[in-house]
Amino acid sequence: MSDPVADLLRQVATEDRAAFRALYAATSAKLFGTLTRILGTRSEAEDAVQEVYTKVWLNARRFDPGRGAGMTWLIAIARNHAIDRIRSRPDARPSDDEDALDAVADTRPGVESRLVAMGETQRLVDCFAELEPDRARAIRGAYLDGQSYQALADRSGVPVNTMRTWLRRALIALRECVDR
Amino acid sequence: MTDRDTLPPDDEADALAAEYVLGVLAMDERMAVEARLRNDATFAARVAAWEARLSGMNDEFPELPPPDLLPRIEARLFPVAPRRRVGWGWLGGLALAGSVAVAILVGRPAEPVLRATLTAPETALIFEAEVARDGMLTLARVAGAEAEPGRDYQLWAIGAAGVPKPLGLVEGAEVTLAAAVAAGETLAVSLEPDGGSTTGAPTGPVLVTGVLTDG
Repeated sequence: MSDPVADLLRQVATEDRAAFRALYAATSAKLFGTLTRILGTRSEAEDAVQEVYTKVWLNARRFDPGRGAGMTWLIAIARNHAIDRIRSRPDARPSDDEDALDAVADTRPGVESRLVAMGETQRLVDCFAELEPDRARAIRGAYLDGQSYQALADRSGVPVNTMRTWLRRALIALRECVDR
Repeated sequence: MTDRDTLPPDDEADALAAEYVLGVLAMDERMAVEARLRNDATFAARVAAWEARLSGMNDEFPELPPPDLLPRIEARLFPVAPRRRVGWGWLGGLALAGSVAVAILVGRPAEPVLRATLTAPETALIFEAEVARDGMLTLARVAGAEAEPGRDYQLWAIGAAGVPKPLGLVEGAEVTLAAAVAAGETLAVSLEPDGGSTTGAPTGPVLVTGVLTDG
């Protein structure tokens, strides 16, 4: 299957600066959108996107196309970077900057039908439907908004340990469904 | 945490990988997982599998064009000055310009007040520097080999005046030194004769540099 992002990453791994520029042009809007959604402010996302592409340049040779698509690898780096940032904040809570929320308002978590109904996305939608709705909501809140166990527990009004037990069991159930 | 042992061992490891990918873990747990990722290929494969499983949600992240940050990224990664075995004039100049090589900054919990990543595009050598509130600087070699026999790595700080001041020898994988340094100063590691420079200034090639930034 053709994966132009993976092709660019292979070139970047050979220290090809032109490929790095092409990679930035092709992927920075998606990574900036991802970072803005999780971090909550454009200004923090602007700092983060620079750090993320620095990491991409330094680590491109560790990309393994056998394990997933190029874009999946890039988004994983961006999400991990954003989550490290918010977990390191003194209050360790996501920011609630209004402007940034407006900027990404059209994609705030909503009903599951917002997921584009195609391929892997469709499979995930179907599998979320097999979970209890509050567990599916917790998984989506964590993945898309960077919510911690503490935030998820507060939102559901349960102790952190309970949330953790629920979520771990839900994740194993999700795995059985997606891998089916 | 209670109830964690209710899963079979295989599911236990897989649930931890999933929690890491989801991002629900606290910072100390994330750091433990990241250490395991570097040493445990089976666990790393679990994490990659979860990244693929959950990637169906990636469509929900918006496309939001950033301002053109590419020039700033390239300035970090590809300093224009010659990089190796060219003496020290350029380094002072770069320190004055206030931008050298790469400083990847990942804010970690409160502890260090300053951080720098010392690297250069054409070497495998990477050092991580952290300066604690009490002025103690810890320098860890996180990638690359130790100095060749008969040579030593030496750490320097270059402030606004552009004059390198010696901070100490870098022996083994990690050293802790007392250092009066400030944000914006450049740290550099040079390759010196055994025992370090005897002139008070670097005599060997600069291998890696990084700028200290608020941690």
